[in-house]
Amino acid sequence: MSKQIKKIAIYGKGGIGKSTTTSNISAALVEAGYKVLQFGCDPKSDSTNTLRNGKYIPTVLDLLRKKSKVDAHEAIFEGFKGVYCVEAGGPAPGVGCAGRGIITAVELLKQQNIFEELDLDFVIFDVLGDVVCGGFAVPIREGIAEHVFTVSSSDFMSIYASNNLMKGIEKYSNSGGALFGGIIANSINTSYQKAIIDDFVKKTSTQVVEYVPRSITVTQAELSGHTTIEAAPKSQQAEVYRNLARKIAKHTESRVPTPLETDQLREWSAQWADQLLAIEAGEVRGEKESI
Amino acid sequence: MSETIEKTNSINQPRYGCSLGSLYTAAAIPRVIPITHCGPGCADKQFTATAFYNGFQGSGYGGGSVSPSVNASEKEVVFGGAERLSELISATLKVMDADLYVVLTGCIADLVGDDVGSVVSKFQQKGVPIVYAETGGFKGNNYTGHELVTKAIIDQFVGDYDGPKEEKSVNVWSLVPFIDTFWRGDLEEIKRILEGIGLKVNILFGHESNGVEEWKDIPKAEFNLVLSPWVGLELAKHLEKKYNQPYLHIPVIPIGAQETSDFLRKVGEYAKVDSEVVESFIKKEEDYYYYYLENFSDFYSEYWWGLPAKFGVVSDSAYNLALTKFLVNQLGLIPGRQIITENTPEEYQDFIREQYTHIADDVSTTVDFIEDGYTIGQELLKTDFGYKPPLLFATTWDRDIAKEINAGILEIGFPASYEVVVNRSNIGYRGALSLLEKIYTTAISTSA
Repeated sequence: MSKQIKKIAIYGKGGIGKSTTTSNISAALVEAGYKVLQFGCDPKSDSTNTLRNGKYIPTVLDLLRKKSKVDAHEAIFEGFKGVYCVEAGGPAPGVGCAGRGIITAVELLKQQNIFEELDLDFVIFDVLGDVVCGGFAVPIREGIAEHVFTVSSSDFMSIYASNNLMKGIEKYSNSGGALFGGIIANSINTSYQKAIIDDFVKKTSTQVVEYVPRSITVTQAELSGHTTIEAAPKSQQAEVYRNLARKIAKHTESRVPTPLETDQLREWSAQWADQLLAIEAGEVRGEKESI
Repeated sequence: MSETIEKTNSINQPRYGCSLGSLYTAAAIPRVIPITHCGPGCADKQFTATAFYNGFQGSGYGGGSVSPSVNASEKEVVFGGAERLSELISATLKVMDADLYVVLTGCIADLVGDDVGSVVSKFQQKGVPIVYAETGGFKGNNYTGHELVTKAIIDQFVGDYDGPKEEKSVNVWSLVPFIDTFWRGDLEEIKRILEGIGLKVNILFGHESNGVEEWKDIPKAEFNLVLSPWVGLELAKHLEKKYNQPYLHIPVIPIGAQETSDFLRKVGEYAKVDSEVVESFIKKEEDYYYYYLENFSDFYSEYWWGLPAKFGVVSDSAYNLALTKFLVNQLGLIPGRQIITENTPEEYQDFIREQYTHIADDVSTTVDFIEDGYTIGQELLKTDFGYKPPLLFATTWDRDIAKEINAGILEIGFPASYEVVVNRSNIGYRGALSLLEKIYTTAISTSA
């Protein structure tokens, strides 16, 4: 009998460190003995590169482009310690419908019962930035992923993207869609960055799963085509990712978030802008004295 | 009748196809082949609905199973269908001979954002007579699609022109081919009567059109005649700017001697045709018309078993207004219920409503705009048609209600699935006579 597979989707603004974080979570989970499949849902199709020595793999849609009937096994490649890697792929930039591409790729694996067949413990979808259309919302619809995490820095644009994602989750939550697990706070090196993220999760009734500092170790590992777990297993940063992976493995209760309305979000960010200006001017204010 | 009719959230028994249905606008031009860039089934549905179960009009030179289609699958959705379209056009050019090819896009291409313009322009640059129109279903219905296609042909194929105008020549923009079940015979009659008063007529669609050569002559015409409540107006305004061509808008398609003679006088005056020429043609036609009407009048006045007094019309605005005028003014019937079904753009609705306020000098009535067949049925059931069985000018969809209200029904619009139409016309002088035959054959046979 197949066991209960934990299906997770990780979203975030482009360039925020989604794939880096996801690949390190996958690497930490396989290292801990779990069976993991990482599913890159981005037309750039580079989500799993660092799990496979920096090498690209043929995508589900590459295969579909060549022939109408595709055996999903042809799109599955093994990487670091046996992690399974799949890339959805997509059309050339500017043509076709990337969103539909994601739907097609996810459905293909689902129809062929690949997750059950591989006896997986975890499926992790690494999904492109904003939920711009229905296609990119597929992983949060019923039956695909159960828990959604978002990778966000304290930059406002990144927080906007997370807030948008929460809106998508809130929408689908009534129809059996995935719920929100929390924010993976990335590139958090200063206390004010932490304070911004902390304030945002409070406002949206969610939580920070882990604070991941910006680190040169990560960059070095990436440039050599590896995850931090693989390239610098003993580093402090690898331990941060292991902690994150442990928390995600243990995570069971996701919730319906309470995203801010656009006006509220603007107001919220304007308040923070004032505070940051004050910090820059060396002003010390009330409860933020610790900053 | 003045209360607001609530719009339902669904349309039962639709009375039009989608924009892609205007592939039959292209197919109505002699030796033109439409190429559809859409999913499998779209083009076929438009054919069976618009051209088959609507008077069984036939597919013509380029319609029906002739029209090549991309038949887009998931692959074309995800990766875009531009390449496949390009392949299809090349293949079409090898095996299909046409004077003009018209590429029409369906929902898939328009949603995915295929750059159809650049695909088609590569062929245009090689001198291939080909144009494209974006007619995804969400752009509207056949009526809006018709304007998109005609505009595409004019802008991309006919092109610019700043030469002289030809005196007393006119482009006619009137009934929409195929969706208007009797368009073939009707457009022929319009051409015949306009030629009768000495005009050179570009009728543009059907057997009497000279095909793409005639379309090339569009810019040379002295003016455009928009003979319909609203379809063609946008195009006429476009042509006014593009070719400095004025237009004459006559919303009532003429049926019967009275309306047709008035119509010819109006057009004649506008086109500065010698009134003697106009009057002499009118006299000849009226002689003919009233010869038959005189003989018909024995039946009309003497028939013992009762003839209808009231009528209802459920159709697109063009036929609705035309029939209402004719039935009131020429047959003395009383308007019971008028329902326009083509989803008339809101900006034209008040203008059309206004037309019904002066159907005759002493007759004013109202009109409703309803698309949903269920609501139409409910409204007809509510209508007081008096004691005698009324006449219902409607569609196949309305047959059940016609039975309930004990009406004689004439299928005069889409879909007309119990009507075989070859070249019959209902308009002008000649068409009105065959319409009379049909009306009273129906009236007296309903109880047979």
